[in-house]
Amino acid sequence: MNKGPTGRHSSHGSKDLVVPGDVITTDTGFMRGHGTYLDDDNLTASVAGEVERVDKLICVKPLKTRFNGEVGDVVVGRITEVQQKRWKVETNSRLDSVLLLSSVNLPGGELRRRCAEDELTMRSYLQEGDLISAEVQSVYADGALLLHTRSLKYGKLGQGVLVQISPSLIKRQKTHFHHLPCGASIILGNNGFVWLYPTPGQQDEEAGGFFTSLEPISLSDREVISRLRNCLLALSAHKVLLYDTSVLYCYEVSLSQQVKDILKPEVMEEIVMMTQQKLVEHEG
Amino acid sequence: MCQWWWMLNFYVCIVDSPFLWVYGVICIQLCVCDGLLHFYVCMVDALCLCVYGGCSISMCVCWMLHLYVFIVDCSISVCLWWMLYFYLFMVDHSIYVCFLCLQRLDGRQTYDYRKIKITFGTDYGCCFVDLGKTRVMAQVSCELVTPKESRPNEGIMFFNLELSPMASPAFELGRSSELLVKLNRQLERCLRNSRCIDTESLCVVSGEKVWQIRVDVHMLNHDGNLMDATSIAAIAALSHFKRPDVGIQGDVVTVYSAQERDPIALSIYHMPICVSFSFFQQGTYLLVDPCEREERVMDGLLMIAMNKHREICSIQSSGGIMLLKEQVLRCSKIASVKVSEITDLIAKALENDKKARKEGRKCGFAESMPQERITALKNLETTVEMTDLTKQASDIVEGVETPAEMALSPVVPAPGVGQVGAGLQNAWGLEDEEDEEEEVDGDEPEVTIVAEKRGNKKKGERPVVIISDSEEEEVVILNPESS
Repeated sequence: MNKGPTGRHSSHGSKDLVVPGDVITTDTGFMRGHGTYLDDDNLTASVAGEVERVDKLICVKPLKTRFNGEVGDVVVGRITEVQQKRWKVETNSRLDSVLLLSSVNLPGGELRRRCAEDELTMRSYLQEGDLISAEVQSVYADGALLLHTRSLKYGKLGQGVLVQISPSLIKRQKTHFHHLPCGASIILGNNGFVWLYPTPGQQDEEAGGFFTSLEPISLSDREVISRLRNCLLALSAHKVLLYDTSVLYCYEVSLSQQVKDILKPEVMEEIVMMTQQKLVEHEG
Repeated sequence: MCQWWWMLNFYVCIVDSPFLWVYGVICIQLCVCDGLLHFYVCMVDALCLCVYGGCSISMCVCWMLHLYVFIVDCSISVCLWWMLYFYLFMVDHSIYVCFLCLQRLDGRQTYDYRKIKITFGTDYGCCFVDLGKTRVMAQVSCELVTPKESRPNEGIMFFNLELSPMASPAFELGRSSELLVKLNRQLERCLRNSRCIDTESLCVVSGEKVWQIRVDVHMLNHDGNLMDATSIAAIAALSHFKRPDVGIQGDVVTVYSAQERDPIALSIYHMPICVSFSFFQQGTYLLVDPCEREERVMDGLLMIAMNKHREICSIQSSGGIMLLKEQVLRCSKIASVKVSEITDLIAKALENDKKARKEGRKCGFAESMPQERITALKNLETTVEMTDLTKQASDIVEGVETPAEMALSPVVPAPGVGQVGAGLQNAWGLEDEEDEEEEVDGDEPEVTIVAEKRGNKKKGERPVVIISDSEEEEVVILNPESS
């Protein structure tokens, strides 16, 4: 199979999908990137995905993969371990991410020096099993991510619903925190963990950090969040790119159905088709 | 007479038994019992509970006796005691509770192991073990070394376990974690201290040269229960391994290569296999062969290493749970059953490999990997209906519309073509319900497994396993005559 490399020129251009073992090109003038290997002068794909070409660099972006973090990504993770001066966070990547004690906002002011007592009371801030939202500060040499929550919008997550989907379905956007007009808020973590929670009142916005309210949530809020969760599952089952607009359209389209019916395969298909139609209409 | 019985029961309460209040109940019962039959029943109750403790056999007996008395006497008080015993039976700490259908995430029963697959490599002593998704590789090698001073004519066994990040994102490279030390120690205790291998036969020249057998175990994927998989892999690899033959002429020791002389297998006395039991809610629930999610939420772990001759090689309890004597005995009985099954499996795998090598067929990992074809439809996991289990059977029957009338004789639209139920409604009675295995991580910080949720249900109904056929399309036969 001698074919030259094809690149993506526009979002509607022809996408070159390859499977492991497909020869991408026989031209030796290209540099090989991730997801490719040299097999007797042929550049061959090692993962299943689409070919991306940037000038002389060819790489294959896989369709299904663990989360490969980059600096600046917003992630939602779960604390798995409390170690000396750091926490280990599970973020659906190849290695557990690291959250240092010096990278979190301690209650009582931002610029306090970390003392030995802070180390001993780490567990009172974040325990095993807690969910947090954080940002990737840097990537270690072995691929582990270094996280930080040094902003009021990051921190421990309170009451809500977590949905785990593939990281390749989350669209990269300017902001990943959205307040949906339907009455709930969403955090689309780049690692595929999506957090749905009821929109907090005005006074809770400034709290941030580790303050989580345990007030009971009203039934209408719960229904909205359940519906959103089922919509997310429907969209991810049909491999639709997730961002605030697509989630919102899906929610609106699904209002005609009952919340639990959205999970049925026929209904799922119908809803996703209508969502895709609506997306094409509004965004051309 | 009643008072003496009451005092005896009270004494028993103080001295023994955690089920104090049950004895208290019996005492009160005796004080208010009406009729001789009821009195005898109470005495049998108390005797059962004294002998068997709080276990459900006694509960069951008490329950049935009370039911009998209720039927015979029809007294309200007996009815009340019957209901009390029924309740006690339900929340009993015993694992013999049969009508609370607790389900595991992958549909297994309490004592079920996942599918075990043992494959050997082309080299002698290389073994892969798949326990469900947990994958472990063991490699045995040997080397001539000087023996220990304290034991000049015994060979040496060396174990090395590796936990790499390949197995799980929680493992770090280079860090000697608690888990690694625990697994190492358990494997050493299981195989070295149990003397399953004849180390004296490994001696070549006493005091100078002995064989050192080195077992390297690598974890390739961690999906729970690493210890069991490790022990199976290690013992299977040791049974498969063949060391080079050695000849001694006077002072000269010659080690023959595999081409010169056939290598010799190790002499193995018995095969110790480790069986893991995980406990939840302070010993209320027990699961054999926990998967990774179950391991994360378990309270404690009991590992029993046994061989098929019912000899216990090692027992280790971790996690700090208090186990009762009966529980440990019960676990050892379950372990003996499992160990004999697994030993048979290992023996069969070794047998197959030996046959394949003798016949000259290709052996090794490449041959044992299953051919993945699109036409092969095999699903190892059973999908279990997790949503909406409280629907009663009557609801289901009411909800379904009456099936359409059946065709008495099949309609043949064209010669040579037959149709089943042509043009009529689908009379197979399959429900179009979605069956999914899903867990919603809500606002609770800990991950709860389905078994715990099911435990809160009241009288349990058997969850209906529904196979969804939603991808079926109607078959339409194109005919010039019919439309």
